[in-house]
Amino acid sequence: MRYVVVGLHAAGRSACAYLRRADPAAEIVGVDPAPMPIYARPLISYALAGEMTPEAMTVADDAFFQSLGVTLARERAVALDVGRGLVGLSSGREVAFDRLLLACGAGPRPAGVEGPLSHEICFFRGRTDLARVMDRVRPGGVAAVLGGGLVGFKLTMGLLARGMAVHLIVASPRPLALNVDEYVGRWVAKRLADAPGVTLRTSTSVCEVEAGATRPLRLCLNTGECLEVDLAAAGKGVIPRIQWLADSGLDLDQGVLADGCLRTADERIYAAGDVAQVPDMVHGDARINAVWPVAVEQGRVAALNMAGVRAAYPGTLAQNAIPVFGSRMISVGAVNPAFTAGTESVEADGPRGSYLKLVFRDDRIIGAVGLDAPPRLGELAFAIRRGLRRQDIPDWWLDNPKNAAPLAAPGGALTGNARLG
Amino acid sequence: MLKKTVIVRPELCVGCMQCMIRCAEAHSQTKALASAIREDILAKPRIHIGVGPENKPFPNKCRHCEPAPCQEACMPAAIRSDVAEGLKIVDPARCIGCGMCAMACPYYVIRFYRDKDAPGHPSVAVKCDGCHDRVAAGDVPACVAACKTGALTFEDVNLYLKEGTNRLARAAYGVRS
Repeated sequence: MRYVVVGLHAAGRSACAYLRRADPAAEIVGVDPAPMPIYARPLISYALAGEMTPEAMTVADDAFFQSLGVTLARERAVALDVGRGLVGLSSGREVAFDRLLLACGAGPRPAGVEGPLSHEICFFRGRTDLARVMDRVRPGGVAAVLGGGLVGFKLTMGLLARGMAVHLIVASPRPLALNVDEYVGRWVAKRLADAPGVTLRTSTSVCEVEAGATRPLRLCLNTGECLEVDLAAAGKGVIPRIQWLADSGLDLDQGVLADGCLRTADERIYAAGDVAQVPDMVHGDARINAVWPVAVEQGRVAALNMAGVRAAYPGTLAQNAIPVFGSRMISVGAVNPAFTAGTESVEADGPRGSYLKLVFRDDRIIGAVGLDAPPRLGELAFAIRRGLRRQDIPDWWLDNPKNAAPLAAPGGALTGNARLG
Repeated sequence: MLKKTVIVRPELCVGCMQCMIRCAEAHSQTKALASAIREDILAKPRIHIGVGPENKPFPNKCRHCEPAPCQEACMPAAIRSDVAEGLKIVDPARCIGCGMCAMACPYYVIRFYRDKDAPGHPSVAVKCDGCHDRVAAGDVPACVAACKTGALTFEDVNLYLKEGTNRLARAAYGVRS
């Protein structure tokens, strides 16, 4: 049996490890043009903030893949011939597969800005983007960050740490609009507005970029204002790398459509990570949750199914944890007000100054968001996966989330899932 | 699969918190309570007593799951499974304290404290390491050594399950153990 894994980052790396575990004698070929070592992309924000070195982002090197017996092809996959079972590589070589995993990830979404210098807008997706941003960092200078999502927020924090003044330009009425509820969104907006060096511009977008008079770039905003900046960087989300699959015959939407076993329209081909559009546990439709833990989990599930070990995937679930001005903000499932209209929510008591909200729909928990709350969103994510009902969450848990015994403990609402030790 | 592991019997726990104290002591620099409480960076327990229904105590510690959600969520690959068989152990030198592991843990057993072993002593993920160094030296985990009620024991999982079968058999035939 020959397994071919296209893309060796979060999902692909995890898949290689589980393929080897499930099938010790199989041939595994890894296809990825990225130079070794493989690193964790989300960590570039920590490297930008100076909290870690770029070298510390490494999660897998040649020795890792060698120890798994994975043959590496350092090339880009450019074509897929489903009928003949072949993956075409950029050199013209073709690799045959019995089972194929598409884990080729996603690239940054264009900023949608016009102008002669629009190519000067940096993205923040990988280490080349990090190097490009670092080249343009000027302590004491001015930066513009386009996009008020998690990437835009991390960029802002990183550039602040590098001594730059930052204009955070957000198209929505508040930052993190898609990731947190209104309370946390307002809290973050206030902290940003009060933070020295940050100018938060909500309901604003950049129309054009041209050469500046006093600084390298001049950004023209839809409000009529213009900003002169040393650096402009965008975090506007991601676009799955599916262009090379357009003629493959696989079902494509925003990403590669896959079922609850992460299998695509062809039974030999699976998808995982940022390229896979799979049923969402909370929303019901097929979605892409481009976050690290989801990709690693999907890599494992896809690998086990490819190797014939049945592994069910309950569905993808949005989850995030980021430090915000010394506080820890965590969210899981549906917490965005755009998706939670008509839902019931419960705020749990917590330590002073903390915030923990649980969101229910049709009496079942579908999301939770916390700020400086006891770090038990993992427990709530577990509860979402199990479809825990509101009435099964005991009052003693809601009254004392800092010290309450886990819901999955014997006697708890999720009992039966508890392990012995 | 761990041959021997810490078995928790919450119904025997009286909430004395000795396990927490001895756990912190075992993870201190000086390994002695009297001096540990004067250390610059206070060692923290990796086992916690949770409060259950009717205020019943519940000893809660890492289950070292396989596959471990915390390990899958860990971006810098700081949670390792190659230090001791069957254990998921945080490498404080690689941990960046991002909180993803705590968000993934279904059992609420990962906390964040300053750690003596992390360069610069930042706040990093702190959780049970199975006292692998004590066990390698032939000892039992510190929490087990501290527990006087039998709520925490260090046993072979299969023998524990076999004993459970025996208890069930005795109950079925009306024999009190």
